[in-house]
Amino acid sequence: MVIAMYKKYVDVITMVDKHGEVKPLAIQWDEIKRYPIERVVDIRWAASPVGGSGLRFTCQIAGHERILFYERNRWFIESLQP
Amino acid sequence: MDNRRVVLHCDINHCYAQIEEMKVPELRKVPMAVGGHETTRHGIILAKNDLAKEYHIKTGESLREAYAKCPQLVVIPPNYDDYLYYSEKVKDIYREYTDRVESFGLDEAWIDVSASSKIYGSGEAIAREIKKKVYEQLGLTISVGVSFNKVFAKLGSDMIKPDGLVVIDEENYQQLVWPLPVEELIYIGRATKRKLNEFGIKTIGDLAVFRADLIESRMGKVGVMIHEFANGIDDKSVAFTGYQDEAKSVGNGITSIRDMRSLKDVELVFRVLAESVASRLRDMGVEGQVVTIGLRDNELHGLSRQRKLAEPTCLADEILAMAMQLTREHYSFILPLRSISLTMSDLQKPAAVEQLSFFTDHGKIKQRVLDETVDAIRSRYGFTKIKRCSMLLDDELTNFNPKADHIIFPVSFL
Repeated sequence: MVIAMYKKYVDVITMVDKHGEVKPLAIQWDEIKRYPIERVVDIRWAASPVGGSGLRFTCQIAGHERILFYERNRWFIESLQP
Repeated sequence: MDNRRVVLHCDINHCYAQIEEMKVPELRKVPMAVGGHETTRHGIILAKNDLAKEYHIKTGESLREAYAKCPQLVVIPPNYDDYLYYSEKVKDIYREYTDRVESFGLDEAWIDVSASSKIYGSGEAIAREIKKKVYEQLGLTISVGVSFNKVFAKLGSDMIKPDGLVVIDEENYQQLVWPLPVEELIYIGRATKRKLNEFGIKTIGDLAVFRADLIESRMGKVGVMIHEFANGIDDKSVAFTGYQDEAKSVGNGITSIRDMRSLKDVELVFRVLAESVASRLRDMGVEGQVVTIGLRDNELHGLSRQRKLAEPTCLADEILAMAMQLTREHYSFILPLRSISLTMSDLQKPAAVEQLSFFTDHGKIKQRVLDETVDAIRSRYGFTKIKRCSMLLDDELTNFNPKADHIIFPVSFL
């Protein structure tokens, strides 16, 4: 079964360490909901099946693995809902 | 030591269109083209995807022609910033393999991996690896030609599109390259093709076995060169990353927002172009001596004329005067003009001591100081803050800034 996926730009809270590395800390979903990123499993350059390419962060959020992309200057997720 | 060269030529398949598709994958399912804005009349197709190609839509034709062939065509205005960014990312991948990556425009590059093959394997293996990386990391497909010189590598990358990989070596080039029509060879344009066809030369193979001395007597240096190319003799090296050729000419052109119907219209537009060209010459610290104008009427017939000035110059007034003289001599406005261009070549560094001409030099120094002052005001406060009074005659026609608007330049092979 092919699951339809959507490209969804999101607000992300990040930390820039003293070496200049960017690390996503949480996704700010709306004014209230914020999903902390528990762990970053993998970082690499990749293209996304929902379009776009950039630095791909494979993250663990609320126990689930989610893909977060840093595309040029903003972030998107491969979302199940449009 | 094995001193055979291994040269790759990589070409991002229909670059602009593919980058748009990569950003928005839904565009792969519809006929789509990247093209200019219809309203400002830079309305031509810059790139198209495979579905649009099925409708015989051609790069360079007007949006109107394209819509006539395919009314449901999706046209996307170009995002040059993205194309520069992603094509540079692709080149970053090439640069992982060698320090010899020579760009040929935005979407093409030669890569010399002769010295890297001990580490990364054969040219073909490296080509496969590069293709895989570009696809996985950036979501783009490229066509690669692998050969022992630049000319055949480029031919190889043109053979299979999209996503091709062709190896042309000493053993197979006669089978692969020689049956191709002669105009596929880099450097052979319409005029050269016509000349060669007069000799009965139709394919690259015909050219390769033709008598070299005959070609030379008829076509000179260029003839010798393309004869060698056809035989796989091309020892031009792939330039190092970051190497920049010194500019041989500086030019600007514009398709104006409405047709130019008189010398007066043309003068207004040439004035803007001349100021831009002169200003760019001064930025580079050079002067040009040959003025070339290009005129294209509204049925898209073009003509180009050039003349040498008595003295090299970087002054807008002198460039404009020659451009207008050429226009007066060679154009009669039977048809209105759609686009014009102005180019300065034969560039040279100004001599430390300027040769003053006996007759005409009064005020030249003053003029130069004035031009430089205008440059300074513009770079500080913006292009539109100071302009010629004559520009106000027709705001519509002169409202453009060629110096800043053009970021992507066509390139030549030599």
